[in-house]
Amino acid sequence: MRNQSAYQVTPSGSIRVAGRVFFVVVLILASVFTDAQQYDLLIKNGYVIDPKNKLDAIKDVAIAEGKIAKIAANIPATDSKKTIDATGLYVTPGLIDMHTHVFVGSKAGTFADGIYSVSADDFSFRSGVTTMVDAGTSGWQNFALFKEQVIDHSQTRILAFLNIFGAGLGGGQAIKDISTINEDSSIAVMQRYKEIIVGARIGHYDGSDWTPFNSALDAATKMNEPLFVECHLPQYSLQDQLNKMRPGDIITHSYEEISERMPVVDSNGKLNSFVLDAQQRGVLFDVGHGGAGFWFSQAVPAFQQGLAPNTFGTDLHRFSMNAGMKSILNVMSKYLNMGMSLNDVVTRATWNAAKALKHEELGNLSEGAVADIAVLNLLHGNFGFVDAGGKRLQGNQKLEAELTIRAGKIVWDLNGLSAQPLKQ
Amino acid sequence: MMHLKKISGLLFSAIFLFQSLHAQQFDLLLKGGHVIDPKNKIDAIMDVAIANGKIAQVANDIAAGNAKKVIDVSGLYVTPGIIDMHVHAFNGTDVDAYIANGLTALPPDGFTFRAGVTTVVDAGSSGWRNFRQFKKQTIDKSQTRVLALLNIVGNGMVGRFEEQDTTDMNPEQTAYMIKKLYPDIIVGIKAAHFWGGFTQVDLAVQAGNLANVPVMVDFGEHQPPNSIEALFMQHLRPGDMFTHTFSYGPTNRETIVDENGKVKPFVFAAQKRGIIFDVGHGGGAFSWRQAVPAMQQGFQPNVISTDLHAESMNSGMKDMSNVMSKFLAMGMSLQDVILRSTWNPANAIKRPDLGNLSVGSDADVTVFNVLKGDFGFLDIRKTKLKGTQKLSAELTIRAGKIVWDLNGISAPTWEEELKSSK
Repeated sequence: MRNQSAYQVTPSGSIRVAGRVFFVVVLILASVFTDAQQYDLLIKNGYVIDPKNKLDAIKDVAIAEGKIAKIAANIPATDSKKTIDATGLYVTPGLIDMHTHVFVGSKAGTFADGIYSVSADDFSFRSGVTTMVDAGTSGWQNFALFKEQVIDHSQTRILAFLNIFGAGLGGGQAIKDISTINEDSSIAVMQRYKEIIVGARIGHYDGSDWTPFNSALDAATKMNEPLFVECHLPQYSLQDQLNKMRPGDIITHSYEEISERMPVVDSNGKLNSFVLDAQQRGVLFDVGHGGAGFWFSQAVPAFQQGLAPNTFGTDLHRFSMNAGMKSILNVMSKYLNMGMSLNDVVTRATWNAAKALKHEELGNLSEGAVADIAVLNLLHGNFGFVDAGGKRLQGNQKLEAELTIRAGKIVWDLNGLSAQPLKQ
Repeated sequence: MMHLKKISGLLFSAIFLFQSLHAQQFDLLLKGGHVIDPKNKIDAIMDVAIANGKIAQVANDIAAGNAKKVIDVSGLYVTPGIIDMHVHAFNGTDVDAYIANGLTALPPDGFTFRAGVTTVVDAGSSGWRNFRQFKKQTIDKSQTRVLALLNIVGNGMVGRFEEQDTTDMNPEQTAYMIKKLYPDIIVGIKAAHFWGGFTQVDLAVQAGNLANVPVMVDFGEHQPPNSIEALFMQHLRPGDMFTHTFSYGPTNRETIVDENGKVKPFVFAAQKRGIIFDVGHGGGAFSWRQAVPAMQQGFQPNVISTDLHAESMNSGMKDMSNVMSKFLAMGMSLQDVILRSTWNPANAIKRPDLGNLSVGSDADVTVFNVLKGDFGFLDIRKTKLKGTQKLSAELTIRAGKIVWDLNGISAPTWEEELKSSK
């Protein structure tokens, strides 16, 4: 911290006692030294995109004590213990992946506490992600286990939607067992863990009874949190789902083209008008790429006709990680090559997500905010991007994570940007 | 007449069918790539054909019409599927354990295919007491081929204190587990993290003799350090493996390069004797100040590997293709890098069925792009070496199946699909 009192003392000769003069000189020197290094880390000359603060320019970003300390046009390198030159790179808030399955465990054949989920840290930092949101892998019966076993041990910040089914994505018939739905218990868990749980989630139910949907919506409403509507609800029509959703509720797998849900774009390539109406009413559309949730044959015409996604959830899990999805940067790059601007892409992966989650302390670089930062490189070349149907879009831009900072700490450094060259 | 007509018709269609089948005798054809297959001394542009999950043919010009699917890999390098001989994959939910069934070990599939790896060798995460759990939980559920070195400690890597328990180091049980139960999966024995003298290594070698398998030693944590010359020349056998070769932590383990930057003469002698030097990069075991002078003085490791675990994955290590690229940056030829990550590890673990593209082998194949640019490579001491080349896995094939396709080179464009449906 800056030593204000030392600044007020000047070596003007007004203090005549030699010993005291010496003391004052030492104090000044000390203050110059500490003042000189008031920041722990300085990212210089990067192109900052911070949608919340409408920053879209070359700026320096200073970090102290794990927080954003200052963003300005020119912060002297001498003010910082460590300086990183980010010339030619983009500096953004740490990315937020709105849709993941990270309740990893050792059980076979299941997502909850199972091997179909993945470890957040294995995929986050190398893609610029500092916050992952689990999309209802746990319910009120097993959220505590999720927290103890995974969330508490993860370097990545993990937030979660609570599945309205008690066992979450527990495998077998349990995921569609209405008897596990207990709204009061769900609300109790949401209240107890309200720093982590960001809303309620409905998905994976093949009945036509609206009780599960309504219970999830009701729990979310009572908690003043969003409802997250996932896939595999074959008996509910898309229009009915959207009609029931409130502004701020989130539908995911927006661009899927599978038999069990009506696609947003019809067989003539036209975007259904009620879908756009829903977005205009405030329903949020998440990508939710996954293994089957993103098709260019839907996403491209939808984008051209005005339905851009609000957020870039990847639906990261064991079956999407090595398929067309790969990483959030790969998903974001798909939209860059479909014609979305970089600023719009970053907005959807940061500030939009933070607002949707009602965690407005995240997804921005305001002074005092936690220093979660991504430094991205925009590669130019010849790249291909694959969708869930195994089809390719060719493009010439691709995002890569050069440096990821979580709470002020460098947790990923692709090319050793922060490192000293080897002295040979 | 009718009858004859029918027969001739059948015959005709049978011939037609045979021809069309014959025309597509291969499932997949990789065309125009530069094949590097050290076992078969191939280092040239060749086509690689795959059928029924096996390598069917490697030849100069295989007709595209012979394959159901053809991928143009011109400008890219085609190599045997990469073998990462040192990982920790016994991932589990015991939050008190560090590696065995713990959170520091990783499920391999998230790291392998995207880095060109098709086979990993778990380096002693489990011992004979918990290997069955490891197999059931991870090995049997992974798409990556997971082989294992069995820890000489019965409980494997539960915690540092448990690893000191000499009463849990049982050569007979360890050898039984390998020879009688899982000879196809367990390829050797691991001795690691021991604080005492040579007791652990000697017991591991004893087990190695009983099971006729090699031993890998992580000689990491002796204070003061034990003599590595004694380890190489007296305690280990030719074919045994020394890992964390380029580690620099002289108070814990004797280094292979001395404080004046000279490779110790006995290190060359040990390699000549048949000791296998493994990189085992990890979160704390790869220093430029060891690796660079060693390479400059002509000492090359036999095997390049990652020591993948949660503490290395996001550090200087990152993934296998990054570690391989470090050796390119130090001046090792691409051919030598591939040799040390395919055929050399296959031989070290006595699995000559792996790490090559011989006809009849499992079709584990990697297609690499060698990126040109300005790259930096971090060691574990946060110093970097600059380089101009970096390996990137374009396509990874495991037993004939495409399991990674970075840029969709095996995929049609989505507009083509629309056109063909109209």
